[in-house]
Amino acid sequence: MASALKQLNYQVSFVLVQPNGGFEPYLWRHAVQNGIEVEHLSLQNGPGREIVRIGDLVSYFEPNVPAYSIRSTSINGPLPVTLFRQPKLLEESYDFVVVGRSRVAGRSAQQIRIISKDRSRYGYNLWLDQDSGLLLKLDMMNLQGEPLEQVQVTSLHVTPEPDEYFLRIEEDKMPETLHLNETDPVPGNWKVNWLPVGMVEVRRDMHRLPMTGQMVDYVMFSDGLIDVSLYLQAVQPGSSENGWLKYGANTLLSLQKGALEITVVGKLPPQTANAIANSVQYIETPQ
Amino acid sequence: MKQQKLENLSALVDGEQSLEGLALDDQTERELVDKWRSYHLIRDGLRKELPPQLDFDISSKVSAALENEPTILAPRKGLRDLPVIGHVIPFVRQGGQFALAASVAVAMILGVQQFNQPKPEQPFSSAPALAIPGMQQGGLSPVSLEQTRPLPQTDALEQKRRINAYLTDHERQMRLKASQHSEVSEHPAQPEPQQK
Repeated sequence: MASALKQLNYQVSFVLVQPNGGFEPYLWRHAVQNGIEVEHLSLQNGPGREIVRIGDLVSYFEPNVPAYSIRSTSINGPLPVTLFRQPKLLEESYDFVVVGRSRVAGRSAQQIRIISKDRSRYGYNLWLDQDSGLLLKLDMMNLQGEPLEQVQVTSLHVTPEPDEYFLRIEEDKMPETLHLNETDPVPGNWKVNWLPVGMVEVRRDMHRLPMTGQMVDYVMFSDGLIDVSLYLQAVQPGSSENGWLKYGANTLLSLQKGALEITVVGKLPPQTANAIANSVQYIETPQ
Repeated sequence: MKQQKLENLSALVDGEQSLEGLALDDQTERELVDKWRSYHLIRDGLRKELPPQLDFDISSKVSAALENEPTILAPRKGLRDLPVIGHVIPFVRQGGQFALAASVAVAMILGVQQFNQPKPEQPFSSAPALAIPGMQQGGLSPVSLEQTRPLPQTDALEQKRRINAYLTDHERQMRLKASQHSEVSEHPAQPEPQQK
């Protein structure tokens, strides 16, 4: 699957179905041009959102925001990238079970179930095209087996030649690359004592939240399929309340421990988010 | 003479003769009408265009039916028969149907809203009731939902803003992660999580 995804020229239309009944249709093109991977993901409804990747440069064109580029080897869109590019990385966290064959989007498909090893994350049902190994359908299910977020491919074309769309891209005219002002990770006076199996820290920094402008300590955890953000913020004791909510397939959970407000955001069950938040330990600084 | 006429008729059926070439008179007419019919039937047969069910002499049945048709008197002209008004009134009727459909839809929406109303005793229980140890039920309100608790307006807005900020930032960080991910995986010196 991973090699098919990187080497083939294909054009895929798919629909992302959200738990609240909303859906977003996307067009996804991929090609290898002069040995360089090019990729285009386009939201088809509304004002649109275009993401173009040429090699390791990803450019985002969105309404209300000036176009920008970042250095990345994958588009972070509605599809879990690591699952398709480096499925080996997921073996730490998930079990893959081959279920059987069925028919999806008019093609014969191989169904695979993906279950987290410690049942602390949502499960997936994945259907891959028998011929090309490309994605046909991906369901994210909660622990009761009810679908949360679904990706359904509606058409899939594998072509010998790159789509002519890519000939029109002028590489020199891509927006400027954002340079992240890298700050050395500050070891905060706190630590996380529990994480689900296979989940590791992938980022840590301090930054200001958009809109509110509050400074937060930030850590991102990832198991390859889902990314979880952990925010820590100093607050007046008793000034915020504990609680959680669901936003689409995302869970946002906020918890106050002493002078620390801990917030967990990610596509994971609220119980797991709660366990992570509760495991955060404040380390007294010897002063 | 008669033979000549039949040949002319045959030519007419085949489209090789114009009607003017046929000099019709009363005696030959009836005979020619019969011939006309049978020539057409023969032609259709030769061309294999015969209908699956042969019903000879449809024409006589049609004329018989016309005879039996009751005479319809032209209806009295009224307001509705004026071309413009005649078109307007059906629109009004349709409007009524739309109004009916719309009211049904409104009723549905009202009904759904009724169903979706959070229970008053659990004002913040917009999240599904799920017991997490050490955590009150529900808790935060979703970004889009109206506040039902009589909170000071600023608090609710402030909370929504904070929630939005977190969600937006999470999205942004996920994008930025991709750019750093490769670097991170080169240095797997990150502390392994302690398992409970």
